[in-house]
Amino acid sequence: MSGRATPIALLALSLSCGGSREPMPPGRHALRPVALPDLSRASESVARQLRDAHVSLTRTLAEVSRTDAELGRAYGQMAMLLMAAEYRDEAEACFLDAQGLAPDEVRWPYYLGHLYKARGETLKSAAAFAQALRLQPDDPPTLVWLANAYLDQGRPEAAEPLLNKVLAQQPRSAVALFGLGRAALARSDYRGAVQRLEQALSLAPQAALIQYPLALAYRGAGDLDKAEAHMRQRGPGELRPPDPLMLELDRLLESAVAYEVRGAKALDDRDWKAAAASFRKGIELAPNEPSLHHKLGTALFMSGDARGASEQFEAALRLSPTFAKAHYSLGVIMGASGRPREAIQHLSAAVRDDPTYAEARLRLGDVLRRSGRAAESLPLYEQAETLDPRTADAPLGYALALVTLRRYQDARARLIAAMDGHPDYAVFAHTLVRLLAAAPDDRVRDGRAAMTLMQQLLAKEPQTPEIDEVMAMTLAELGQYGEAITRQREAMAAAERAGRPDRARQMAANLALYERHLPCRTPWTDEDALMPW
Amino acid sequence: MGSPERAVPALALTFALLAGCGDRPRATRADAADAGRDQPWFIDAAPQSGLIFTHFNGMSGDFYYPEIMPPGVALFDYDNDGDLDVFIVQGRMLGDKPLGAAMFPPRDPSSLRGRLFRNDLEIHADGTRTLHFTDVTELSGIDARGYGMGAAVGDFDNDGCADLYVTNLGSNQLFRNNCDGTFTDVTKASGTAGSGWSVSAAFVDFDRDGRLDLFVGHYLNYRVTENIQCFGMAGGPDYCPPHVYTAQPSRLYRNNGNGTFTDVTAAAGMAGEFGPALGVATADFNGDGWIDIYVANDGQPNQLWINQRNGTFKNAALLAGAALSADGEAKSSMGVDAGDFDNDGDEDLFITELTGQGVDLYVNNGSGVFEEQSARTGLRLASLPSTGFGTAWLDVDNDGWLDLLTVNGAVTQNVGAVARHETFSLQQRKQLFRNTGQGRFEEVTERAGAVFRQADVSRGAAFGDIDNDGDIDVVVGTASGPLRLFVNNVGQRKHWIGLRLVGQQTRRDMLGARVAIVRSDGVTVWRRSRSDGSYASANDPRVLAGLGDSSTPPTVRVLWPDGRAEQWRGVAIDRYTTLQQGSGTATERAGR
Repeated sequence: MSGRATPIALLALSLSCGGSREPMPPGRHALRPVALPDLSRASESVARQLRDAHVSLTRTLAEVSRTDAELGRAYGQMAMLLMAAEYRDEAEACFLDAQGLAPDEVRWPYYLGHLYKARGETLKSAAAFAQALRLQPDDPPTLVWLANAYLDQGRPEAAEPLLNKVLAQQPRSAVALFGLGRAALARSDYRGAVQRLEQALSLAPQAALIQYPLALAYRGAGDLDKAEAHMRQRGPGELRPPDPLMLELDRLLESAVAYEVRGAKALDDRDWKAAAASFRKGIELAPNEPSLHHKLGTALFMSGDARGASEQFEAALRLSPTFAKAHYSLGVIMGASGRPREAIQHLSAAVRDDPTYAEARLRLGDVLRRSGRAAESLPLYEQAETLDPRTADAPLGYALALVTLRRYQDARARLIAAMDGHPDYAVFAHTLVRLLAAAPDDRVRDGRAAMTLMQQLLAKEPQTPEIDEVMAMTLAELGQYGEAITRQREAMAAAERAGRPDRARQMAANLALYERHLPCRTPWTDEDALMPW
Repeated sequence: MGSPERAVPALALTFALLAGCGDRPRATRADAADAGRDQPWFIDAAPQSGLIFTHFNGMSGDFYYPEIMPPGVALFDYDNDGDLDVFIVQGRMLGDKPLGAAMFPPRDPSSLRGRLFRNDLEIHADGTRTLHFTDVTELSGIDARGYGMGAAVGDFDNDGCADLYVTNLGSNQLFRNNCDGTFTDVTKASGTAGSGWSVSAAFVDFDRDGRLDLFVGHYLNYRVTENIQCFGMAGGPDYCPPHVYTAQPSRLYRNNGNGTFTDVTAAAGMAGEFGPALGVATADFNGDGWIDIYVANDGQPNQLWINQRNGTFKNAALLAGAALSADGEAKSSMGVDAGDFDNDGDEDLFITELTGQGVDLYVNNGSGVFEEQSARTGLRLASLPSTGFGTAWLDVDNDGWLDLLTVNGAVTQNVGAVARHETFSLQQRKQLFRNTGQGRFEEVTERAGAVFRQADVSRGAAFGDIDNDGDIDVVVGTASGPLRLFVNNVGQRKHWIGLRLVGQQTRRDMLGARVAIVRSDGVTVWRRSRSDGSYASANDPRVLAGLGDSSTPPTVRVLWPDGRAEQWRGVAIDRYTTLQQGSGTATERAGR
């Protein structure tokens, strides 16, 4: 495709930064003039940054009194910006020039290592990191990244000494231990992998990504129970070494997208303040971008500022009236603050604007159910379940709506089906037990079935006031009032100890029934306790 | 990208290659290797053979997500004349803009529909071949005008004629082959339209009732009117990653035997777990004789649906080690294929991934437990720069070891290329990895031919012996680009055995049947009849196995999908043989 002949494009003809892919020999005569790529598709802020950096570099180049080191720095700064903006080819050439001018500067081969890594050029990446290591032999992040490159090459034996070097400096480095665990797995040394990964986990228990390789290590070692246990705890995430140089690069770009990415990362790290700060900066650059307002609102909400969050969600809607996520978020806030009418309005809008928004349907169903409009909630729960059969909340909500409508038989059938479809969700069993023990409908109650279920629950779960309460219901239904009374008192005492005297007071009504040898006929006194908003 | 097709006349292409007559001396392994060094292993024969087609993805500068996903292709013998025909999906404009606003408008807007090309292969007396394709779309009655994604092939009505299922953005289509060169759209009657966005699908007899059922992989909840704008770090527009949308549940349809299907997704236990499905491969992964289903999901854990033999499935991917990367990362997972690369009798899995992620090689221990070994086998390193889509296990050189071919193309723009005003700058080269037979692979792309060095935005790839000369060829769909036909030049230098496995009551291909080919040197090579796998594409269901230098007709043992097993001794080599269930010697279902 022919390019448009703009002044910048003309400059770019055959004059890309460096041009070749080999390091330039020292000496200014070997350097080529620098040109920028066409920035017409970049955002204004990024284009301005790159142009300013280019001007600065050009000026530095023109000053013959500048040392090679200074010139190298100028090239390097330009390269960093180009790399942050993902102009990787241009960045590579600039880094190579910088490296040629300042061969003792560790940053340039280090960044080249990351650049090649991003392009999937592992051998080049490893060579660049190795060069950086020669300049700074004990640098932990460089050791880790080079080790990772060796693992990518199927060379765990080359990776391990590097990671052990990190460990020697930083005995509590979860990153190094994680790497050593991966290396051991690569060698099929499962017991070794278990040891290292368990150590890593103990140092970084929040790093859920360790769980999966640890599970595989246990599996390889023949311990399937532990493998399954760790598999259940797996989660996403990254385990990176503290990397000041990459942090510097990541913070370089002044673009709304860059701030949005930083903010999203902070959200993942649960650093709400940092997230909000990043999103605010993004909004300064792109004030009409609704997703930035929405994300800022999310960060504010998570940090407890519901009012600030609402303002941002409303700003998002002013910019994009059919922004379903903003409607949803406002619906959540309204619902939580006891304003069901507004909640219904916004959640309905979310559903209307995005018919595939399962979560919005679910929440709307909940609000309708709690607002005395349970019949209207039923189709919403059904639709939510159709859209996303993975979620257990939809069938649960449906069952609770049926209970609200006193359709106890239907509720029981739903809960039994849901237990089959979601065997890992104990909430269905909990709900069903209450129904079987205390439903006002004689056709639905079945004390023996309730007791069977209770015993299954007790085998898997710790004793809680809620479990005791339901056990008491069940015992009462079976006519075992003495035991029911004991259990109910235990439940009340446990609630008190847990700092929930209100709960204990609620349970007193059932205690009085059992003392009069009467069973309970109200499965729930407050369903909010079962399905918190 | 979007380079105009060169106006090459649709000349018949005559090959001066010899086919499996067996009366010329076979090159030795060393000779073949040497010859390979001098001669490209594959050549692109599409234009010369009349296989002229340019995919239109409707891009207009709005970066609609679906633009980067198709097209898939299908290789199947629709007219039962013994050679493989080609079907490829087509796109259309997305959004409200008129056709004239397309960045690369089609030459003939009226031709915007999926196309069927009939293979008019001629094999001459001297063994030379003439490959010629004729566009028979109009004649066929296949009217596929949706925004096509891919295709699946299977004889769902057991009439001996392969039917075609087309996946779309929107409702899918099922075309029943009328066995007279025409098809009828039976979508509505069949109940398999679905809705939303489907990419890969697979016909599979999961319940052993002798009828092919249908698994359809659904991708994302997406509407063109609600297309989300995404941007690169520099602020320029780009295609979105999948996580900005939510996944759509995939579907399992059971064949009722009367032209209709029933959605049994929930009943089969598959409704509760799903992701944005891109690749599907069906095979018996745990060696119990029942076909399982592997689903590769984009950015979410993959599923390994193990057949419970009672109409239901259980997802065993996590503990089996086939859901995530070795580090626990849910990767992008586009193309997938199952095959026995290490000749130990079980089905291993290979999955293509994004640039920087590296491919996955899940090595099966025989019981459906996998270990990821892409780095150890040398695949990871070479694959890291590429974003892979269509792929397959294939014995390129017929040495008895399964090699790997991936067709590649990025999904987000190269910012530098955009700055150079290169539109749709997603092109990447294809790759070929040769199995050394010692648990490792070597990249041999440079030897594979200039066609591999040609950078395209490759997506679907269908694998099969198009010229019936005993080696695997490849048809590749290019997003917003030309259809490619890579004809294999090297495989027929070694001995091979070709098998078509058909049913007892019906002559349909028995998809899922496993074959053990026992060579005279005692080595047993396992292969499988399948049309699924790769990406959004349908493959030649015939089994083609390389025998290397072994010239003795081998014993062939077939494990049929219904659980029975039969054996044939001294099956002819260097030609195709049809094995009909019931015509062999019954045997125990021993081994894998």
